[in-house]
Amino acid sequence: MFTAQRGTVSNRHTVLLIEDNPGDADLVRLRLVESESDVEVRCVDRLSAGLQHLGDESPTLVLLDLNLPDSHGAETFRKILSKAPGVPVVVLSGQDDEELALKAVHQGVQDYLVKGEFNSTQLARAMRYAIERQALLTSLDISRRQQLEFKNQFLSHVSHELRTPLTCIHQFVTLMLDGLTGPLVPQQTEHLETVLRSTNQLRSMIGDLLEATRVESGKIRVEPQCIAIGEVIHQVLSMLRASAQNKEIGLEIGVDTRIPLAFADADRMLQVLTNLLDNAIKFTAPGGSIMVKAFLLESDPDFVYISVSDTGRGINPEVKAMIFERLYQEPGTIDDSRKGLGLGLYITREIVSLHGGRIWVESEPGHGSTFTFTLPLFSLAKLLLPAVVEEGKLRSSLSLITVELTPLSAQAVGNWRELRRQCLELLRSCILADKDLLLPTLGIEKREAFLILAAADLHGTEVITERIREQIMRSPDLQGRVVGNVSAVPIALPTRDSSEPIEKQVQEVADSVTELVMAVLLKPKNLEQKKINTKVN
Amino acid sequence: MDKAKILIVDDDPDLRRGLNLRLRANHYDTAYATDGFSAIAMAQKEKPDLIILDIGLPAGDGFVVLERLQENATLSAIPVIVLTARDPQATREKIMRGGATAFFQKPADNAELLSTIRSVLSPPWPGTVATMA
Repeated sequence: MFTAQRGTVSNRHTVLLIEDNPGDADLVRLRLVESESDVEVRCVDRLSAGLQHLGDESPTLVLLDLNLPDSHGAETFRKILSKAPGVPVVVLSGQDDEELALKAVHQGVQDYLVKGEFNSTQLARAMRYAIERQALLTSLDISRRQQLEFKNQFLSHVSHELRTPLTCIHQFVTLMLDGLTGPLVPQQTEHLETVLRSTNQLRSMIGDLLEATRVESGKIRVEPQCIAIGEVIHQVLSMLRASAQNKEIGLEIGVDTRIPLAFADADRMLQVLTNLLDNAIKFTAPGGSIMVKAFLLESDPDFVYISVSDTGRGINPEVKAMIFERLYQEPGTIDDSRKGLGLGLYITREIVSLHGGRIWVESEPGHGSTFTFTLPLFSLAKLLLPAVVEEGKLRSSLSLITVELTPLSAQAVGNWRELRRQCLELLRSCILADKDLLLPTLGIEKREAFLILAAADLHGTEVITERIREQIMRSPDLQGRVVGNVSAVPIALPTRDSSEPIEKQVQEVADSVTELVMAVLLKPKNLEQKKINTKVN
Repeated sequence: MDKAKILIVDDDPDLRRGLNLRLRANHYDTAYATDGFSAIAMAQKEKPDLIILDIGLPAGDGFVVLERLQENATLSAIPVIVLTARDPQATREKIMRGGATAFFQKPADNAELLSTIRSVLSPPWPGTVATMA
């Protein structure tokens, strides 16, 4: 029998029944009455109404028909599960779609009942078990999170406490090495350098410990900005050149100068590249070489590829899949005594994927390995997308077109100001002057972004975008000097009196877009908190 | 020219001694305080050109010291470099908001720390205060 939890005073259960067939809904109600369950049933006949109800209230359980007028099949339960992850769901399936119901159970639904095939006892039991299982899952999840939080705090404390004596060792060893405590004989210097190296290893391990816990609990912070990845590569190389030279390993760099800015966190990239290069140095025998490259692939135009190749001993195919896992240790490293914690590549992979990139390794045992990762290129259009488009509320009669120009090289560009003027001229010729607006241009570190607000529907926007692309390709003034990236974002129109002339609407949106772009360009992370300054219908 | 004076605030005697040696070797005058309370007193008495401040301190932690320095018309002009073992992800922002000029996690790279000290003590343009990221 379905009653309030045993042993507790009746806390009335509420059931949300999402079912569009009135006959089926009545049957469920009847079964509930028969089972003498103390429940309050709220019935809705659309998924949208169900989702709204879940937004306002939190029922004890959801009884869900999968085929509704506004949603069918797997989509139905996925939306419910993601809207209310802690509420148990029992699917009411038809006789012919049990397979789908089973799929639902695999993806987080607690149970299913086949319509017309269950009696009141079975319904009550299914509901009771669904609630109990969900409660168990919830408490498991809470305790898992508590454990992670505890681990995080513990490691934060431990790493703080370890750093203090480490700082002391570091300070006095460097004081001695710098000759500030009296002259040293060569052998003493050598020994102290060994101490310093170990101290630095210890320091980076302490950092990794805390970082790995953060990765696990999703607390690692990444703040992407527009950065020149080539500069970061040069910076890392100059930091690690000495340790490569000590091992007589050559460091080479091959960065395509035409690479546009990437959208990434510079400090995190420093961390990722240091990790990869440290590994490369560690696994390469003296006399070998390491090559760092950054390049673009035509087949994947939104990303920049960065690779670190070494002539080390390579990675066996069977362990290739495991090296990015936490605590993985490469057996029998060249530097066998120092294995590290096995956290570096794990942290690296997480950082790369937080940026929206991927990382993988190619290797031929005996001939070296190449680690490659991708980073999204900086795109104004992509950056603005979440701020100007309200999810599910697209109105396509207004679009924001961004034209981003990246110079091919300083020599090719010549007079940048003149080039900009030519671009403006060209863009003006591409739009309908009476309706469309060319907003103020924005210079972002050696590149220029032009924004056009076009009063056009989807098709019209495509026409304009295509025309701009063609003109840039054909323009003798621009050819060979810049790479142009043209993209369009449809804008959600503000709620207003539709009798207002389109020109006025466009102008108002233009003002708020300009304001938005100004506000977020320097600090893209602000974008999350910003929405276009108009109410969206 | 007189040597610039740096006030070291740290409760760990070994760290104070080490940093003291390092700074003196680089021709700075030093003074030190061992807790949050005496940090303010020493700042008033010694009128340092720069304060190097730990965060975990008895009798008023580094945040309290920063706050008190900011409240005082004369002391608020003294640049502060925070040198702490704490996690930058959790504390850097709060420290910089509290009015610090720069942040270093222990153990800090000596060359970087010294170059920051130099640039804080001699702003690139007269009349301006150098700000460090």
